[in-house]
Amino acid sequence: MMTKDQYIESLRKLNLNLWMFGKKIENPVDDPVIRPSLNSFAATYEVAEDPQYEDLMTATSHITGKKINRFTNIHQSTDDLIKKVKMQRLLGQKTAACFQRCVGMDAMNAVYSSTYEIDEACGTKYHENFVKFLTRVQDEDLAVDGAMTDVKGDRGLAPSKQADPDLYLHVVERTPDGVYVTGAKAHQTGYINSHEVLVMPTISMRPGDEDYAISFAIPTDSEGITLIYGRQSCDTRKLEEYNDIDVGNKTYGGHEVLVIFDHVFVPNDRIFLNGEVQFAGMIVERFAGFHRQSYGGCKVGVGDVLIGATQLAVEMAGAAKASHVKDKIIEMTHLNETLYACGIACSSQGSATKSGGYLIDLLLANVCKQNVTRFPYEIARLAQDLAGGLMVTQPSEADYRNPVTHDYIVKYLKGVDSVATEDRMRVLRLIENITMGTAAVGYLPESMHGAGSPQAQRIMISRQSNMEMKKKLAKAIARID
Amino acid sequence: MLTCTVKFCGGCNPRYDRGAAYREITGAVHDIASFSLPQDGKHYDVLLIIRGCTACPYLYEEIDADHRVLCVAEDQIGQAADAIRALVSSK
Repeated sequence: MMTKDQYIESLRKLNLNLWMFGKKIENPVDDPVIRPSLNSFAATYEVAEDPQYEDLMTATSHITGKKINRFTNIHQSTDDLIKKVKMQRLLGQKTAACFQRCVGMDAMNAVYSSTYEIDEACGTKYHENFVKFLTRVQDEDLAVDGAMTDVKGDRGLAPSKQADPDLYLHVVERTPDGVYVTGAKAHQTGYINSHEVLVMPTISMRPGDEDYAISFAIPTDSEGITLIYGRQSCDTRKLEEYNDIDVGNKTYGGHEVLVIFDHVFVPNDRIFLNGEVQFAGMIVERFAGFHRQSYGGCKVGVGDVLIGATQLAVEMAGAAKASHVKDKIIEMTHLNETLYACGIACSSQGSATKSGGYLIDLLLANVCKQNVTRFPYEIARLAQDLAGGLMVTQPSEADYRNPVTHDYIVKYLKGVDSVATEDRMRVLRLIENITMGTAAVGYLPESMHGAGSPQAQRIMISRQSNMEMKKKLAKAIARID
Repeated sequence: MLTCTVKFCGGCNPRYDRGAAYREITGAVHDIASFSLPQDGKHYDVLLIIRGCTACPYLYEEIDADHRVLCVAEDQIGQAADAIRALVSSK
């Protein structure tokens, strides 16, 4: 496995065509806006080195028998599925941000089991291709970005019916050695910190969409790929002269990019789906299921930090003993643990696919994610309630450092006498960061839309609800023949 | 001197500082036990398992050790150290 330092050095070798704030970024590794997201991703390597967390952070490859980072593992049991969720909670606690590596793990697990069944039905060699790719990822401990979401244009039209054919990524040229693809993938979490990108179709497809039913993996810096960095609320605070207190979370963060594929070559042995439209939906459904499970871990870990920060804020203000304050903290904990319970539940009820890889219970995974679209918002609302207005009205760090205003700030922003004013400012900025700053991207709208927007889960819940059985139960009790 | 190794279980939501527990236990028995991280194929007198919570079921049977000593809560740190010391007395 790679160490944290080896991972960071490996990223320096990438030649990404990355643009941010109107400029080309030649050195993303040391860029102050991007670096916190790299630190979060690097935590997936760093924590795996710590014997205290080895049990959660590592697994044994079912292909090679070697010890691997769990982020490259194909789940072999419900125990593996449960440990995945626990690992994600742990990393959420360590970073209070999106650590980005889950999406590749979930993509690899979805494509692994799907390619096995595609080959069985179609006589293709996609699973062999994928296992070769996966073995390299495991052996070299590579970081993989899972790329599903197309930009989609007119949502009322199929991929092949769009006014601009590039609004869904598709094959534009076929050669004996491979294919060329054009299109774009939006909201790509962790792409800049990844060595490989694993592309999947974004929706179920029908005959006529064959060029759009494409899955493959290529290096993230392949020729023809352009990246445009997504900006976040409060992102330029990282560029200010005083950028310690006001950023809320100095070390960790997340990122998303728009990834544009302009006539990008994909060799044949890196293709995992190529025109079999009837299997696009399988990959989508399985990836979405795994990723909806993931949120029952990672968001809970960030929630742990937010609850802890809120408790600190009320203690620093001398309000911790008020009964309504205690009750709100309990409510935050209840909501957070409910998300965790869903993540554990869908894992414990998982089952083996034909490939041997384990899949979560899809109904429970969708229930998990549906709760994730709501509960972090309520937890954040309660955190803001208890933090008070000072979270958004306190002076800047520059004013705190200014000798003219420093003493006034220390004097008048004081809470309980035993706590330094600066510590109180830091806790309030952390709550701001998670609920409305850079980390809110990951904790709130990502909870809403990541792994599919709320309606996508409701469709799956409807499909998986087994309503006929429920009707039979009611008829039996009501004595209806 | 007992040859000992350690495994940490869980860590996603530990109820106590498992690293501090390890340091306390090893400190308490440093005169009779030497600890190192587990290595494949090596035999140990004692495997110390420090669990973060009571739900963890693993006994790490792939590690070859004559005795397994568990610590699952902060108030068991002393008992774990005593259990290791008792093994020397019983030898």
